[in-house]
Amino acid sequence: MMGMLAVYRREMLLMQKKVGKFGYVFSSVMFPIIYLFAFGLGLGSRLEVSGGYVPFLAKGIVSLTVMLNAFQQTSLSVSVGRMYFHTFQTVFLSPVPLWQIVMGIALAGVTRGIIMGGLIYLIAWLAFGVPALSGAAITGMVLSAFCFATLGIAIGLIVADPDEISLVNNFIITPMIFFCGSFFPIQNLPKIMQAIVAVLPLSYANSLLRLEAWNMQAAGHAAILAAMGCCLLLLGVRGLKQYSE
Amino acid sequence: MSVSPTTAAACPREHDAVLDLRRLCKSYDKQQVLHDVSLTVIKGEIFGLLGPNGAGKTTLMKLIAGLSRPDSGQLTIFGRDGSGERQSLKDKIALVVQDNNLEREFTVYEALLTYARLFGIEPTRQRVEQIISEFNLSDMCCKQVDTLSGGMARRVSIARALLPKPELVLLDEPTVGLDPDVRQDIWAIVKHLADRGTTIFMTTHYMEEAEQLCHRVALLKEGQVITVDTPNGLKAQAEGGADNRKILTLETAFLRLVREERV
Repeated sequence: MMGMLAVYRREMLLMQKKVGKFGYVFSSVMFPIIYLFAFGLGLGSRLEVSGGYVPFLAKGIVSLTVMLNAFQQTSLSVSVGRMYFHTFQTVFLSPVPLWQIVMGIALAGVTRGIIMGGLIYLIAWLAFGVPALSGAAITGMVLSAFCFATLGIAIGLIVADPDEISLVNNFIITPMIFFCGSFFPIQNLPKIMQAIVAVLPLSYANSLLRLEAWNMQAAGHAAILAAMGCCLLLLGVRGLKQYSE
Repeated sequence: MSVSPTTAAACPREHDAVLDLRRLCKSYDKQQVLHDVSLTVIKGEIFGLLGPNGAGKTTLMKLIAGLSRPDSGQLTIFGRDGSGERQSLKDKIALVVQDNNLEREFTVYEALLTYARLFGIEPTRQRVEQIISEFNLSDMCCKQVDTLSGGMARRVSIARALLPKPELVLLDEPTVGLDPDVRQDIWAIVKHLADRGTTIFMTTHYMEEAEQLCHRVALLKEGQVITVDTPNGLKAQAEGGADNRKILTLETAFLRLVREERV
């Protein structure tokens, strides 16, 4: 486990250096803040959602912040380190077992996702008095961050150019943001679309974020998210096993 | 002109082989970069790989380091399968690449400490302090990597690679682009390492460097090894021919062997 810790500490040190730059935090949370205030102030009093639209929206935006930051952290760290600065080779050539490399990088993604998601929740709490997150919600944040961090690693190992990550953002991440229930209930969508988006990881994360207590549904969704994260983790390990320049 | 077979002086002792390459082939996008490369490098040797640009030197270096996989052939390192048993070899091999691949955001100390942690070196800080002292890096410990000159960055890269005390050090063009002063400095480090029994496998464009440092050199042209010999042996190989030329420098021998060899 010491290898995993070494990789994690490396990633966190790199992150820490960037956090000192104002633009880094700003760009990580600016998009969610804009949506939180635009939709919260513009639609908050007009939309009817059980429990109120603003708490519904705030939790959805916390969820997408977790997703965006966890994914961005790992996908860029791996792809840019691999192709531009060749710093990833240092980690790959170290004796740290491959699964621990993947776990170390993923944990850094989870950390960033949770910190930035927590920051958005804090802003929503201060601005709109959003209720506290439940245990199920916090579990959802962690599992969602893990799932998207491991997705980022798998993508970071596959792409031939870091610019290709924007394709994943455009075709996978952005559609999930808008269709997986971050801004409105999935039930408002046509039946066929509901069936499709219901199986996407952000839908499970959103569902968990909005639960007020643990129940069978929460356990089921948590198990599905954990399983998705583990499958993506294995995909990342497989990518490293086949790594060849 | 044909190149004579490897001289007796250049024949390695098989039982001391640290690195044994047998008929390695590698291609990218259907373009064959390495063809049937066979070499043996023995313990404590400084082995140089010479060749013109595009000859496949860096590709071969990547194969040995484990960054790339051969399409065919056998790669044996310290008697183990270099492809199948790679994980167990990682703490024995260090690679210093041509470009600076230190983390630019880190200070020199952080870059060394991070590497030492990845290699599980204990006690970590003590070993880092030791290498800082050996390489006279104390003055630059707090400097950020991206503010270092090329020579300093190379010095730190080599220091970092030596943290885990590797038995085989791979140096890809270790002095390219450096001024003569820094070059001499790096040569001294390489010689010191070899004196301590570390095996060095290096690529270089500088014939003077190969002549000064290498016990044996291989000439690589268009992905094929055209000869392996001592620097003096290479000069002897290049002598003679139709015009009965006398070869005085390794550079002249290199040019003659590379230009006139028909593979």
